[in-house]
Parts: sequence; C-alpha cells; structure tokens
Amino acid sequence: MAGRGDGGDGAGARQHVFLLPECLKDASKKMTSGLMFVKLVRPCSGEGALYLFNMCLPQLFEIKVFKEKHHSWFINQSVQSGGLLHFATPMDPLFLLLHYLIKADKEGKFQPLDQVVVDDMFPNCILLLKLPELEKLLRHVTEEKEIGKKKYYKYSKEKTLKWLGKKVNQTVAALKTNNINVGARVQSAAFFPGHQISSDKEEDYIRYAHGLISDYISKELSDDLSKYLKLPEPSASLPNPPSKKVKLSDEPVEAREDYTKFNTKDLKTEKKNSKMTAAQKALAKVDKTGMKSIDSFFGAKNKKKVGKI
Amino acid sequence: MDSEKEDIGKNRIHLRPVTLLNVTPVTLHLLPCEVRVNRPAPVARFFTPAIRQGPDGLEVSFRGRSLRGEEVEVPPGLVGYVMVTEEKGEVSIGKQDFSEGSHSDEPEQELVEPPEALERDFDRFISASASFSRFTLWGLETIPGPDAKVRAALTWPSLAAAIHAQVPED
Repeated sequence: MAGRGDGGDGAGARQHVFLLPECLKDASKKMTSGLMFVKLVRPCSGEGALYLFNMCLPQLFEIKVFKEKHHSWFINQSVQSGGLLHFATPMDPLFLLLHYLIKADKEGKFQPLDQVVVDDMFPNCILLLKLPELEKLLRHVTEEKEIGKKKYYKYSKEKTLKWLGKKVNQTVAALKTNNINVGARVQSAAFFPGHQISSDKEEDYIRYAHGLISDYISKELSDDLSKYLKLPEPSASLPNPPSKKVKLSDEPVEAREDYTKFNTKDLKTEKKNSKMTAAQKALAKVDKTGMKSIDSFFGAKNKKKVGKI
Repeated sequence: MDSEKEDIGKNRIHLRPVTLLNVTPVTLHLLPCEVRVNRPAPVARFFTPAIRQGPDGLEVSFRGRSLRGEEVEVPPGLVGYVMVTEEKGEVSIGKQDFSEGSHSDEPEQELVEPPEALERDFDRFISASASFSRFTLWGLETIPGPDAKVRAALTWPSLAAAIHAQVPED
C-alpha cells in the first residue's frame, strides 16, 4: 500500500480528505515549511491525539475525524474506502498546558514552564512553549512569581474554574447562534422525529456546553466545573416514574412531566441503588443526561481505542 | 527541518505549505456504502453520467441501489483538500510507527485503512493534491437528513471556534 506520490488520481496511494482553516492557505504563501502533524496528549484521557502545528505563527489546531460505518469517497477517478473526513480547527493551547500544570502541581511548588511541560510519551509537547503570549494565557489558570527575570508558575484551581466558566458562557452563546437543539433528550426525541422542542432552558445549554468543554479537561476537573456551574444533581429521592409505558400513538403526547423520568438510565440506577456502596451511589447521582461529548459530532462510538485521531 | 532534536522530528508528518496554494479542483462524492479498496475507479464512465436532477435532489444508482444526494458546501472559513503522503527518500515500506497499533504487517489491498492511517506516515511528507469547496453527499434512497452525523460534523468548526476562542481577562 505504498503511496506513489505520482500526483495522478492517487493510484493505490492513501488519500486523506481534509477541511483546513483558510488562514493556513494564506500563511502558506509566506512559508516553505513549518506545518506539521504531531502527536500530543489528549487532556481528557491522557492518551495521544493528532494535532496540526503551524511553526510560523506559531499556532495549534486539533484534528477531529468524522467517521461513520459504511462510507467511502469517490475522489475524481478513484475510490477511497472509509469515507473519513478530517477537520483541523483552532485549539486553545491552554487546555494542553493545563494538563501539564495540574500534573506538576502534585509537587505543590512554583516551577518554570520548561520544567512543567515535559512528557516522555509525547516529546513534541515542547512545541507548546513556542506559542505566543504564553504569559498572558497562563494568567487565567496559574499564580505566578517572578524571581530574577524568570517566571515561575503554580496551578490555581480557583482561577481555572473561573476561566472554564467563561469558556462555558462563550460556548453557550455559540450553541444558541447555531440553533443546536440541546434540550431534547434522545429518549423523547426518538418518539417525535423532526419535532423541535423549543423550550430549551438555560440550564440545558449550560449542561451541554459543560459536556463539550469536558472533552478537553480531566474527569476530576469536569466534576469540579459541574459544581462550580451549580448544575443541579438530580435529588436522590426522585419520585418513581409512572409505571405506564410511553406508547407510540398518533396523538401528540404532551410532555407534562419531566422527560428525564422516562430516561432509562435513571430507571436502572434507581433499581441498582440498593446494592451499591456509598461511593457508587455518589457516582450514580451525577446525571449525565444531556452531557454531550464532542464525539457525538463525529460518529465515534467508543473512546477506548488508543491512537484514534 | 527545524533545529529540534532528531528523534522528535521523526514523530511528525510535514505538510508542504506550497501545495495548499494548489487550486486544482477535485470532484468528491461521499457514498453511503463501503467500497473496501483504495484504487482508481472509472467514476466518470459509470457514476457521473448516471446522475440526474430529480424532484427530491440528485439521483443516481450504484451497484443497483438507488441513491439520493445533494451538494454540500464546505463550512465558511474552511478549505477542502485531498492530501496524499509522499515517499521519503530512503523510507522502508511498511515501516512501523511507535504507536501501539495492532497492524504489525502491511495490510492487504482489500483491508480498510485503520483510522490511525495518518500516523503510519510519521516522518514523511504529506501534500495537498487538489482542493474542493463542496462535495456531493449521498444517502441510500433518501438524502441524509438534518440529523445525519455528517451534517453534525459540519457544524463542528463554528462550535470549536467558540470553545477555543480566548476568554476576556477581568
């Protein structure tokens, strides 16, 4: 399966279908090299992910892949299996820096940045140190000290949550302008295809945005952010959902009650609660309905596989 | 090559910027089925001439099945490219990259590429062979609806822009 690079219709060569930001095209007029794909850490899982780095600005982009079963491309006079569509979108490097700052915080002291951003698994992380305006970025999430012209940093959870709160607000605004339907639970939407539920509550937007941001931070920080945003946890004493099954009928069913009661997940946890430890109960309390992972945009069903981009 | 250490340089795929200025247009169709090979195909002989503009979108048939499709624009602010990896001077074909992929031998021509295909090309060059601003999206018997995964993915860039935009300082 060797690429022959013959510039033809990719006879036998692997062809990748990409959507790149226009700004890269403009930047390309001024440079002959300095664009590269590198493997860096994925902050939410600690595994590797592919990023695109522009050395000239410098600038960081993340690579996401649309991947769904049973697709292929016809590319001019050739066929390419898989039907993958790669997206490169600008990435806030602070999410990656945060990953290293939190790791370094175990030592609980102020450290210079080049001692914080070290990674045997993903040595390309030193590229992050080349990014412009790092000091300005770091102000959002760290306490800093300056000793003899050198800056030392320490992770600040308080500042970070505040910063993430702003990120959530920004994302909520974008969800609204893009008309993304955040309120409909999958369970209820399934019964009314095409039926727009227009009563999206602010809380639904915040929960959805929280889910999107959680793809860039550790699980622990995501939970803290949830508390910070005061996202309500469903009370443990949920009244039992009515025993009558939701039936499909020609008449529109009025959603008189909270959809979440029809949420099968809740039903299951209610049943299981009797046989759980205190810790498990606390975990089960976290309502993940409506929490959206970015993967839902790309058709990736499981996040277990290492090395996925 | 920049002044980074050699070993780091090996875990990179270098994209040739000059090729992004390449504006050779390319025609793309996203099919709702898996064709398990990567190779030349006489698209212009069998597929393209069969496309008709019907009352509900474009119509064509493939392998005897009826497909409905429509032109989809690349989201604003983005440019579509088809990219191909180049041989490196002394590259050994089928060389392993360091990731723990379970593909220890060269895949058969018939195998679907693993999603980490791109990573198997570390330490090589990749270049854009052509660009596009729209592609034709096909569904089996009906046009992929508004809740199709492809359409969700196409809204991603505008959402990503908001997630990753710098937040104002206090």
